[in-house]
Amino acid sequence: MRNLTRRSILGAGTVMGAGLLTGGFPRFAGAQAKEITVTAFGGVWEEAVRTCFVAPFEQKTGAKANVSLGGPPQWLAQVEADPQDPPVDVLIMTPDLALSAAKADLVDDFTVANLPNLAKTPQELTDSVAGKGTIFDYGVGGITFNKETVSQPPKSFHEFVDRVSKGEFVASVPSISYAVTPIMLIWAMAKALGGGVDNVDPFFEAMAKMKDNLVFWGAPNDFFNQMSSGEADVGIYFDGRTWNHYDSGATWIDFLNPEEGGSLNGVAVQKPKNADPLAWTYINEILDARNQEKFADIMNYGVTNTDVKYSEKLNGRITPWQKTAFPPYEEIAKVRNDWVDRWNREIGR
Amino acid sequence: MTEFTLPIAPRRRARPLAMRSVYLIAPAALFLLFFFVLPLADNAMRSFVDEATGAFTLARYAALLTDPFYLRIMGETVLLSAGVTVISLIIGYPVAYFLVRKAGRWSALVIFLLIAPLLTSIIMRTFGWQVLFARKGLVNNLLVNQLGLLEQPLRLTNSVEITIAALVHVLVPLMVLSITSVLQGIDRRLEESAQILGANRLRTFWEVTLPLSLDGIGTGAILVFMIANGSFVTLVLLGGGLQTLPLMIYQQFNTTRDFGMASAMSMILLVIAIACLWLQLRIVRRRGA
Amino acid sequence: MRRNQSSLPDVALLAFVVLFFVFMLAPILVVVVVSFTSAGFVAFPIPGWSTKWFARIFEYRPFIDALIVSIEVAIGATLLSCLLGVPACLYLARSRAKWANAVMTFLLSPLSMPMIVIGFASLFFLSAIGIGVSFTALLIAHTVVCLPYVLRTVAGVYAGLPRSYEEAAAILGASPLAVFWHVTLPLIRPGIMAGSLFSFLTSFDNLPISYFFGSADTNTLPVVMLSYLEHQFDPSVAALSTLQLLLAVIALIVVDRIYGIDRMTVSS
Repeated sequence: MRNLTRRSILGAGTVMGAGLLTGGFPRFAGAQAKEITVTAFGGVWEEAVRTCFVAPFEQKTGAKANVSLGGPPQWLAQVEADPQDPPVDVLIMTPDLALSAAKADLVDDFTVANLPNLAKTPQELTDSVAGKGTIFDYGVGGITFNKETVSQPPKSFHEFVDRVSKGEFVASVPSISYAVTPIMLIWAMAKALGGGVDNVDPFFEAMAKMKDNLVFWGAPNDFFNQMSSGEADVGIYFDGRTWNHYDSGATWIDFLNPEEGGSLNGVAVQKPKNADPLAWTYINEILDARNQEKFADIMNYGVTNTDVKYSEKLNGRITPWQKTAFPPYEEIAKVRNDWVDRWNREIGR
Repeated sequence: MTEFTLPIAPRRRARPLAMRSVYLIAPAALFLLFFFVLPLADNAMRSFVDEATGAFTLARYAALLTDPFYLRIMGETVLLSAGVTVISLIIGYPVAYFLVRKAGRWSALVIFLLIAPLLTSIIMRTFGWQVLFARKGLVNNLLVNQLGLLEQPLRLTNSVEITIAALVHVLVPLMVLSITSVLQGIDRRLEESAQILGANRLRTFWEVTLPLSLDGIGTGAILVFMIANGSFVTLVLLGGGLQTLPLMIYQQFNTTRDFGMASAMSMILLVIAIACLWLQLRIVRRRGA
Repeated sequence: MRRNQSSLPDVALLAFVVLFFVFMLAPILVVVVVSFTSAGFVAFPIPGWSTKWFARIFEYRPFIDALIVSIEVAIGATLLSCLLGVPACLYLARSRAKWANAVMTFLLSPLSMPMIVIGFASLFFLSAIGIGVSFTALLIAHTVVCLPYVLRTVAGVYAGLPRSYEEAAAILGASPLAVFWHVTLPLIRPGIMAGSLFSFLTSFDNLPISYFFGSADTNTLPVVMLSYLEHQFDPSVAALSTLQLLLAVIALIVVDRIYGIDRMTVSS
C-alpha cells in the first residue's frame, strides 16, 4: 500500500521529469573507472583517513578512492534514496544507524571470506550491528571537567548526580536533540544508577534532582564553548574529543571514565548493497592493525583490531572497550522513542 | 492609496500590458508544483501508512491532535513566531526609516552591518552569544564585577529570552530590508505636503508614511513569521527550553528516525503556516486596497 | 523653529540605530576577534594574535572547494528564482482575483516548511527521477526555498507602485516588452535587489538542504564545516566566517563603485 502509493507519485514524477528535463542527466556508475567513493568526517578525521586507509588502499589496488565529507544520517539517507546505485561505496555509521541500515537490508554481510582482517576484530563488535558491518573505532562517554575549577572531580555517575544536585557545580549534559543522547546519557546513567533498558526511572529521577544546576549542549562543540566560557565546569562528553581539545592547547580540560563504566560509542563501517566490490579491499584496510594504530594515534580514539599496540601517550588515555558499558543497541532501539517522548514531556529541552 | 501621484488620471479600461497575462505565473507555479509539492506529497504518504502492516492509518494525526502536550507545542510554535515577528517589526522599522531617510552615503555601510550576522555561520554566532551571556561571560562580568549592579550572575544562556534574541538577530535584517525597499518608493512630496498642511512630524509619520509602507511591513512580517515558524537550528544550539514543532521534527530525523511521525508533524506545521500566511495576506491586501 | 523641533527625534533615532547595531554586531565581533587568536582552540578572550587560522583555511582544500560550490549554487539559485519569480509577481501583485491570494500563499509556502523536511523529501524524489545526488539536484532544491523571497519582495514593491507610469508608457505607444524593460523593471529594482540578497544569503547559509545532497563534488561550505566540526573545533571556522564577511565587504564596495549602492536600493 505504502509502496504502491509512494511509487505512483514517484512514477508520475518520473514521467513529468522526463518531459521537463529532456535528455536527463548522465550518471556515472562506478563501472568504467576503478574508482570508489568512501566517506569521512571533515578535518583531522579526513586527513587521518587519507593517510591511514586511503593511501594503502590506492597503493595496493591502483584504484582511486574519492572521499565524501559529511555525516552518517546524510550518507544513510542517500543510500536509502537510491539503493540500486548508492552514491557512496563505504558507509561510516553510528551503531544506531548501522542497525537501521542492517534491518532495512541496505548493507552486505561482513564475512572473513570478504574481509580477512575481520578475524582480528572481536565478534561482539560485529554482532552488535547484526553482522552487517563492524565497529572499528570507539569513544567513551564519560565525565569531562575543568581541572582549574573542579579539583576533586566526581569519580562515578552516582557522585556526579549527588554533587550536581547539591549545586556544587553546574554540569552540562547532551540535549535530546543530539542523536546519541539516549545511549550515552539515558541508558548509561540509568544503568549506573541501578536501572537499565527496561527501567530508566532512576535516570529521570536523577535529572529532576539536578535540574537547577544543569545546562544542555545541542552539538559537541557547544559543550566546549560552555566549558571555555565558564558556563559549566563539568559534563558528560567523549574521551577522544577531550584529548583533542587538550592537545590543541586547552590544557585545563580532563576526562575520566566513571567507575560504573561510561558508554561505548562506536563508529561502524558498512558496505551498501550494490556498491563497488572494491569497497571490500578498502574496508579490509580499515580493519588492519597497523593502519588502525596510526589512526588511533592521530584521533585519540580506541580502535578494535586485537593486534593493535597503542603508543605510550595513548595507553594512558584509551579505555579498553571491555571496561566500558557496552550498549545493547538493538534493545535500546526498541524503546528509544518512548524515552525521547518521556524526555520531551518531563525535561523538555 | 495610489491616487496621489498620478500624472494622468487612471483609466479603468486601460489595461494595456500584455504583461498582465495569467501565463506569467506558470513557470514559478509549475516549478514549485513539481519540485516542492510532488516530493512533499510523496513524503506525506509516509504519515498515512502503518509501518508494520502497510495499511492506511490516521493514527499519527489522531495521536498528535488529541495530545495536550503536542497541542501546547503547536501553540508555542505559533506564539514564538508571532513574538519574533512583532519584536522584529518594532525594532526594525526605525532602522529601515533611518536607512532610507538619514543614512545617505552611509547606506552601504548600514546594509553591510545588517547582513553581517547572516554571513556568519550559525555555529560561530552561537559561540558569540555564549561568550557574551555565559554565567561568567562578558555581560555578567560587567554587571557583577565591574559595575556591581548585581550580586549573582544572571542565568541568561539556555533561557527563552536569549533564544528569542538570537532569532530576532538573524531575522530582523529581512524585516528592515523589506520595509526599506518599499519606503524608498514613497513619494516624499506626500510627507512634505502633509507638513505644509500643518501636520507635525509624528502625525505625518502616522497618517502618511506608515500607511504607505504597509506593503513592506507585510512582506517583512510574512518572511520573518514563516522562517521563524520553520527554524530549528537556533533552538537546537541555544536550548532555552522552548519546544516547537520544527524542533520535534528535527528530533524525529536525528534521534528517533521515525520518518512517518516527522512527516505527520510537518504536514500539521504546513497547515498551520498556510493558515497564518493566508490570514496575513488578507490583512495586508485589505489595508493596502 | 522647525529645525529645533526636529532634532530631538533625530537624535533619538540615531541613538536607537546605534544601539541596534551594537546588538547586531556584538556576537559577530567576538567571532572576528577569535579568528585572529593564537590559541589552538576557540575561546574568548584570546591569549594573543595570529593569522595562522586564515592560513589553515587555504591549506585545507575542502574549505575552498566548498566555498566555490556554495557561491555557485547561491548565484545559480538566485538567478533562477528571479527568472521564475519576477514574471509571476507582475501578474499576482496587481490581480484583483480572489484566487491570486491563494496562489501567492502556495508560492510562499516553502518558507514555512522546515528545510530538513524539504531536503529529505527532495533527495528521495530527485533520486527516483534520476537526478540523484548532483549539482543540478542541489540547485533545484535551493531554488525551491529561494524563490519565495524574490516573489514576496518584488510583489511587495510592485503592489505599492502606481499603475500610472506603465499606463502612460503604454498609451504613448510603447510595446509591452518595452514598458517592462524601461518602466517596470527600473521601478521594481529595489524589490529584485532585496529579494536577490535574501535569496543569496539563504542559499549560502543553508545547511539542512545541502546536507542531503552532499558528495565529493557537491559539498557546500556549511556541510563541510559541520563535518569538520564533528571531530575538531579549531578557530579556522571563525576565520572562515571572517573571510565571508570580508568577501561581502569587497562585493559591496565593487557594486558601490560600478553601480552605486543607492541605485541598488532606490528606484530611479
